[in-house]
Amino acid sequence: MQQCCIKCFIFALLFNQNKKTMQKNLLLIAVLWVSVYFSACVKDPIIPNEEEVITTLRYTLTTDSVGVPIVLSFQDLDGDGGNAPIISGGTLAANTTYTASLELLNEIANPAEDITDEIAAEAEAHQFFFQTNLNGLTVDYDDVDADGKPIGLATKVTTTDAASGTITIILRHEPNKTAANVANGDITNAGGETDIQVTFTVDVQ
Amino acid sequence: MFNKKTQILWVLIFIPVIGFAQKCTLKGMVEDSITGMSLPAVSVQIEGRNGGTTTDNSGFFNLNYSCKDSFFVVFSSIGYESKRLFLLKPKTEFLLIKMNFQASILDDVVVTGKQKTTATQTSQTINTLEITENANENLSNLLAKMSGVATLKNGSGIAKPIVQGLYGNRLSILNNGIAQSGQQWGNDHSPEIDPLVANKITVVKGVGALAYPGVNLGSVILIEPKKIDKETKINGQVVYFFESNGLGNGVNLQLQQYRSGFGWKVNGTAKKSGDKSTPTYFLNNTGNEELNLAVQLEKSFSERLFTDVYFSTFNTNLGILRGSHIGNLTDLETAFSREIPFFTEAKFSYQIDAPKQKVQHHLLKIHSTYFINNQKWLDFTIASQLNNRKEFDVRRSGRTEIPALSLQQFAHFAEAKFQEEFDNNLILKTGFQFNLTDNTNNPETGILPLIPDYLMYESSVYLLLNYPTEKWNFEVGNRYDNVIQNVATISQTLPREILRYDNIFHNYSTTGGVNFHPTEDFSLAYNIGLVTRNPAINELYSNGLHQGVSGIEQGNLNLKSENSFKTTFSINGVIRKKLTFEALFYFQKIKNYILLIPQNEIQLTIRGAFPLFRYEQTDAQIWGSDLMLNYKITNFLNLKITYNLLKGSDLIHDLPLINMPSNQFRSEIQYVIPKWKSFENITISLDNQYVFQQKNILPSQDFVLPPDAYNLLNLQLSTDLKSIKKDVHFFAKAENLLNVTYRDYLNRQRYFADDIGINFIIGCRVKF
Repeated sequence: MQQCCIKCFIFALLFNQNKKTMQKNLLLIAVLWVSVYFSACVKDPIIPNEEEVITTLRYTLTTDSVGVPIVLSFQDLDGDGGNAPIISGGTLAANTTYTASLELLNEIANPAEDITDEIAAEAEAHQFFFQTNLNGLTVDYDDVDADGKPIGLATKVTTTDAASGTITIILRHEPNKTAANVANGDITNAGGETDIQVTFTVDVQ
Repeated sequence: MFNKKTQILWVLIFIPVIGFAQKCTLKGMVEDSITGMSLPAVSVQIEGRNGGTTTDNSGFFNLNYSCKDSFFVVFSSIGYESKRLFLLKPKTEFLLIKMNFQASILDDVVVTGKQKTTATQTSQTINTLEITENANENLSNLLAKMSGVATLKNGSGIAKPIVQGLYGNRLSILNNGIAQSGQQWGNDHSPEIDPLVANKITVVKGVGALAYPGVNLGSVILIEPKKIDKETKINGQVVYFFESNGLGNGVNLQLQQYRSGFGWKVNGTAKKSGDKSTPTYFLNNTGNEELNLAVQLEKSFSERLFTDVYFSTFNTNLGILRGSHIGNLTDLETAFSREIPFFTEAKFSYQIDAPKQKVQHHLLKIHSTYFINNQKWLDFTIASQLNNRKEFDVRRSGRTEIPALSLQQFAHFAEAKFQEEFDNNLILKTGFQFNLTDNTNNPETGILPLIPDYLMYESSVYLLLNYPTEKWNFEVGNRYDNVIQNVATISQTLPREILRYDNIFHNYSTTGGVNFHPTEDFSLAYNIGLVTRNPAINELYSNGLHQGVSGIEQGNLNLKSENSFKTTFSINGVIRKKLTFEALFYFQKIKNYILLIPQNEIQLTIRGAFPLFRYEQTDAQIWGSDLMLNYKITNFLNLKITYNLLKGSDLIHDLPLINMPSNQFRSEIQYVIPKWKSFENITISLDNQYVFQQKNILPSQDFVLPPDAYNLLNLQLSTDLKSIKKDVHFFAKAENLLNVTYRDYLNRQRYFADDIGINFIIGCRVKF
């Protein structure tokens, strides 16, 4: 508000100087008119409630034998743009089967909102896909929606030999879950639009 | 002999009517609007009365009437479009009537009591009949029928015009004299105007339109509603059309009356269409609905003071191809590799789901003209506009019903103009204009806005001088705009903060032009202009993921104003009354041209990686030409050829400019059967449109290569059915007659799907 008014004042002064030769009363009218015309200032915008944003994805892998779970996480606290996201990969043990679960959060909201529930509630309209270039690593679905099709919030990850590479997790909104091979985790015919696509560096030792 | 006559016509002719006489005589002449050839044997009749007269061998007529009368005069001739003209206690002492040969597309009837002034910049016009016959088209697609006008589209329903390579922030559209104020920056935002309200749509190419508000770097589109006919009985017309592609229906109703100095007119349009289809599959969710209304009031308070009020409301609901809604670049790449887009269904539907746009635009204008005397007048206008734009995306958890973009824009405009015509023919036009734009994001979206909230104040002053002589016309003009932007953005980082910015810009424009018409049949025009355009709000402050460019778009606070230099040169002429030619050449250089440049940077989001685009400045150059040849083979057979060429370059980076229209070649052959049974003016035309591949683009500048060249064939039929009381005009068209599969470079939907296939349109207009 203040900034605005200073500007108006400067503008009025400029106007003043340019029209030096004009009659005084005319000048006064002009200055008054200008100040009325330019006095308004844009109101503070209302900051939208960004409830739909997904800032954080956590892929937690646990085994029965080892105590500490492995967490692959992607965190972009200010959403698209702004600061770059923080991505942390992890190291898995060879020849092991992990029980894995996905957690999605909106940490712009305070307290943080759990988006996982939103996905679960619309399970028929969502599916996660897991892509990897790690030899011998497989990700199998461990949950189904009401139509018996996979969702991917719960999965089983099986490792074989030692290797290093990446795992990419993709969430498709409104995919065609009945298209060929989609239920097996092949994204080719899935369609829909991508809501999440994050890649983690993973080592198998 | 003929020369003398023409001279008589072109020089002012004022023969005062003797007021006390019981019988008065209206004198005039009828000529062909293109060739200027006088027309003999044209029937001239007072509507609803017996008698009347016909023009003599030189095209002259004398029509007797009782002096205190006001009436309609109807001019009709075989092979020509009939003209109906209202005369209120005729004060025009000599009428020059220009009749359109059915094959021509030039101006509507021109009543000139005065010397015709010839503009130094080229303009092109679409008349009422053409607007009616294209009732199924939106404004941009209608404009694209003109030579040198292209459209930037997102599917067939969303389109914005491009004139000589300029669009969006660089092209101003004037609806009834008011600069259309909405979200012009968006490539997928159509102008919110119903063309059926207009009587005349003009595209002014070249600099010189400095009297008009709004930013323009060289071209202006004018949409002008028709004045109310001075008929005391309620009269009007109904237009109806049906189109096969999308099973679209539309109706337009116009009613008007003029009585004791007061006139009213109501114009309403309703349109609805469903999914369009390509030659092989449906484009699901491409339906659209439109409901528009315009009310015009005119009142003459005295001999000198005239006031008119204009209100219009435009409401549309536009579906966007479901398969073109993507989440990230991988989705886009997947879409390129598909023959048929995702979500394509075998069934037709009128249903419009997300993604869609709901747009409303309301305009209220009050305008008064006060004649100080015959040569001097003052003009006052105040106008307000409200633009509401809501765009819906496919969203999670029922949020599809909540718009992803929701903007409200108010614009308030005030203008005072003065015009004087001096005795030595010099015409002076001057005026002040003020415009306030108030743009607000509705927070309902739950998404950080792409465009910030802002207030913008524009104050302008201009002075134009025009000096027409018998063979020459000189024009000079100056304009100054002061622009103040007061902006409030929301930070991209946490915690969300409000950041305020204030800018002042000064825009200076200067133009000059000359027109030389040594004979009636030949004219040359040259026009030159220097224009400044301040950076627009989106160029300075937009920030975020923009699906329209499939990337993260970043504004640039350091942008300076663009400085444009544009020159146009045109040659028009008629050879032996048979061959009409028009050649327009233009060259434009824009210093500090603002454009989105892909940065050597990928921004990672949770949806994957997106390329970063930033607004930057370069020096740009656009040149091209619009060429037209019209050959009247016989009185009934006409051939017209147009060729449009354009090249845009980024001079600093040595790259072509993106989104520039492809070159195209059009030829149209038209045959008229003057009369067959009760049908008159039966016109058959076949139009062939060849659009070249856009070669002036590098593979690195786009996600995919520009589509191949294509050729479309369109067939059109129209006729009048005339009886004593009824005047019915029928029209039928077949667009893309050969059902060709093609994609157009300027249609963003080309990334996902083919363009639309064959479309049959039938319709009629009934006057009553």
